[in-house]
Amino acid sequence: MYALCRMIAVLLIVLAWDARIDAGAAEKPSEKVLHSWYQLTLELVRHTPTYSPPVASRAFAYLGTTAFEAVATGSEELISLAGQLTELGTVPRRTRGQTYNDAVVINAAMALAAQRLFNNTGPSGQRALRKLEAKLGAEMSAGLMPDVVARSQSHGRDVARHVLAWSRSDGGSAVENMGFPLEYKLSEGAARWVPTSTIAQQQKPLLPRWGENRSFAMPNAAACDLPAPPHYSEEKSSPFYREALEVYDLSRNLSAEQRAIARFWSDDPMLSPTPPGHWISIALQILKRENASLERSVELLARLGVTLADSFIACWETKYQYDLLRPVTYIRRVIDPKWESLISTPPFPEYPSGHSTQSAAAAAVLTFMFGDNYEFEDKTHERDGIVPRRFSSFWAAAEEAAISRLYGGIHFRTAIKRGLEQGRCVSTFALALRMRR
Amino acid sequence: MRIPSSYLVAAAALWFPDLPLATAAEKLVIPHFEEETVSAGIDSLYTGEWEYTVGGGVASFDCNDDGFADLLFAGGSSPAKFYRNKSSRAGPLRFELHNSGLEFEAVTGAYPLDIDSDSKTDLVLLRVGENLLMRGLGGCRFERANEKWGFDGGDAWSTAFAAVWERGANWPTLAIGNYIDRFEEITPWGSCTDNWLHRPRTTERGTRPMFARPIALRPSFCALSMLFSDWDRSGVPTLRISNDREYYKGGQEQLWRLEPNLPPRLYAAEDGWKPLRIWGMGIASYDLNFDGFPEYFLTSMADNKLQSLSGPEAHGPKPTYADIAFAKGVTAHRPYAGGDLRPSTAWHAQFEDVNNDGLVDLFVAKGNVAEMPDFAQKDPSNLLLQTGAGKFEEVGERAGVVNFYRARGAALTDLNLDGLLDLVIVNRWDRARLWRNNSRNAGRWIELRLQQPGPNRDAIGAWLEVRSGSKAMRREITAGGGHASGQNGWWHFGLADAREAEVRVIWPDGAVSPWQRANSDRFYTFRKHETLRPWE
Repeated sequence: MYALCRMIAVLLIVLAWDARIDAGAAEKPSEKVLHSWYQLTLELVRHTPTYSPPVASRAFAYLGTTAFEAVATGSEELISLAGQLTELGTVPRRTRGQTYNDAVVINAAMALAAQRLFNNTGPSGQRALRKLEAKLGAEMSAGLMPDVVARSQSHGRDVARHVLAWSRSDGGSAVENMGFPLEYKLSEGAARWVPTSTIAQQQKPLLPRWGENRSFAMPNAAACDLPAPPHYSEEKSSPFYREALEVYDLSRNLSAEQRAIARFWSDDPMLSPTPPGHWISIALQILKRENASLERSVELLARLGVTLADSFIACWETKYQYDLLRPVTYIRRVIDPKWESLISTPPFPEYPSGHSTQSAAAAAVLTFMFGDNYEFEDKTHERDGIVPRRFSSFWAAAEEAAISRLYGGIHFRTAIKRGLEQGRCVSTFALALRMRR
Repeated sequence: MRIPSSYLVAAAALWFPDLPLATAAEKLVIPHFEEETVSAGIDSLYTGEWEYTVGGGVASFDCNDDGFADLLFAGGSSPAKFYRNKSSRAGPLRFELHNSGLEFEAVTGAYPLDIDSDSKTDLVLLRVGENLLMRGLGGCRFERANEKWGFDGGDAWSTAFAAVWERGANWPTLAIGNYIDRFEEITPWGSCTDNWLHRPRTTERGTRPMFARPIALRPSFCALSMLFSDWDRSGVPTLRISNDREYYKGGQEQLWRLEPNLPPRLYAAEDGWKPLRIWGMGIASYDLNFDGFPEYFLTSMADNKLQSLSGPEAHGPKPTYADIAFAKGVTAHRPYAGGDLRPSTAWHAQFEDVNNDGLVDLFVAKGNVAEMPDFAQKDPSNLLLQTGAGKFEEVGERAGVVNFYRARGAALTDLNLDGLLDLVIVNRWDRARLWRNNSRNAGRWIELRLQQPGPNRDAIGAWLEVRSGSKAMRREITAGGGHASGQNGWWHFGLADAREAEVRVIWPDGAVSPWQRANSDRFYTFRKHETLRPWE
């Protein structure tokens, strides 16, 4: 009898455990809405021609803030970012005593935010925005009282409108000519950036004034300034020459693994979700794997979006301060006139490496949320036929992203090292945000 | 006989780049066009919403043997419209709406091709839905022939076409490019549907030739233009596909090799093929640098590409191309008129000599996808004249062809048989437009039509060469390319001030005709094994 009871008890425990796993595996409505909108925006970043990496990072900051505030107004755990993020005023509140549905609130907020931030996307994107809002709206409203639906939608849109109104004054809302200024005078001097391609549009550098944009959690663009890069020299004994020679020599002896790393983190605009989108994609994969709560999800997406955006502001401020030429220019001029980099050289100054800056900042936020030595697999580019890569920690991923630019032949080592330093500095401001009670 | 590469390279050394072009005009001759849409009686719209964002083609071909090119306009959600050419020689353009049997809805593009080699031009209609092969009956009447020819029209969003006769084949091979899954509403990205290759069915001797079941050309990356072209002059057709990066995942521009009786083989990096990822929308080709190998112009958004062979040739050429658009002045990345400085959106492209100065020029149709705010709304089509220095200069405004409609397909074709190429453009949500080239200072010209006995009457895959002075102009006779728009009929060459030229053909089977003398300002029929015959 005792044995039978024990068997039944064990069976019940197993069944209960299975049920818990099943319940956990099924995506909850609010999380489903959140993930669906993020997945769509990752596609829109890829398919909206103005969405270079800095512009993408800005969108992720506002999307993250919108999602966070839409949830925070109904949460006892979360604290609004109003007053913490630069010039973000008090966010509209929910009416006390009234019932709201979080999934409907988030759907309305994210739909409006995405529609406005991607209002310049093409016809397929516009159609997808409309269809997703309608599909999720119908799904999330099913079985709810009409007044709850209406109230929730109204509140979600109010939150989005508030964030969008704040976004318009940051200096980054208008992007002309896909980010390439029609008028721009190149700096003079052998060390200065010059165009690196024969694409007519890219004879001017990308977004030269992005560093003047209003920052989010970081007090200002210069808060994480870097020392000057090595002094330009064509002397073979100079540090500058040695750094260029390292890029050159490495390019001629790249291993298959190094080539794979360069391509995995290439994250080209229009062909990928861009570097900031890559880290958002990693975050979404981790949130799903962790079956994270809604509060934890929006906290991560807001912190990550904010630090990515601050990274690009800081990085761009430094890039145009030093306006350094790319390896391809120097190597062709001094070492080998026929040299080509493995991956396409981006059309803007070299120092520091933007991917390094933003990857370090992203790794710091993800480590803050999920801890050191968090092993994960990154499937961001799987549908593009690029094999997923495994990492022992977020920092390992960030360091690989950074060194990939050396393997790709588009950055000198100093830009990578200092970019990582800059990213660590930028992240401290997002990590200091008080988001929970 | 196949022309060896070494011969062509040697020829290139003779003609390019150091020697002056004997007949090239020293001063740029600006052509003059006059719009005659209304007076010509053309009233056709390309309509429809999302499924008709791309496409919008026009076919130019002679279906009643009067020598004048008749026109079929794709109508999108509206029925296609066929117009019979009623123009007189060198006179104003005149067209008459004619009930041809081609008036189908959902047509995105149209290509003329004498599929059954009966000397009556047939039509390939690309559609949203089932594609149609329309058999020419003569007198500009057509009938559906899918069943008769064993053609599976499928059910897709078809947007590209090319045709070739593979070596020894008595029936053509058709390539059809398909776009995205039109039923995928929320995530169309990554939903590119298969392109199809319709090869001839192996049949018993004496039985009627037909198409085999189509082969899926996998991977497919949302094709918007296809062109069979013999890029290395080996006699083996290769299929260039220009793909829209907006929708593919892991895609790129493609080049397939079609060896007889073997599955198609995709060129890869180890062959020398370099990945190129653009919003590919149209292909035009011509041997611009007189080296015997075609250059390829690829339309896109913002910068367009002009590819020229650059690979090492130790063991024959490799399909490695350098982009020379910037160097040649044909990036055409932004409007040149109208004050809108946003980037351009380019569709149909075509190389032709519009001022008859002996140098081919480049026409590029332009127009916003719909209302994409980051791209020019006032986006005039380009008319880029080639200068004696091998560069191109924009003359659209001076030539009188500036317009701000949303252009898609187009054709530069001699509609009134005066030796000057006229222009027809299909516009999304707007009336198709027609311009007559009435230049008074253009050079001399000849126009030729090829014919060979048996299959492939129009000699698709031949190379037509015209020699004047110290240079030879070469054009590959193709069926396909552009944007949803095809032509069949006269092949035009400008001769500058030359009163005569020499002409020869390298026929699709490799046979080379002897050079034959031709007078300028005349039309000729060039039949295989026969002397050049003037056409009146």
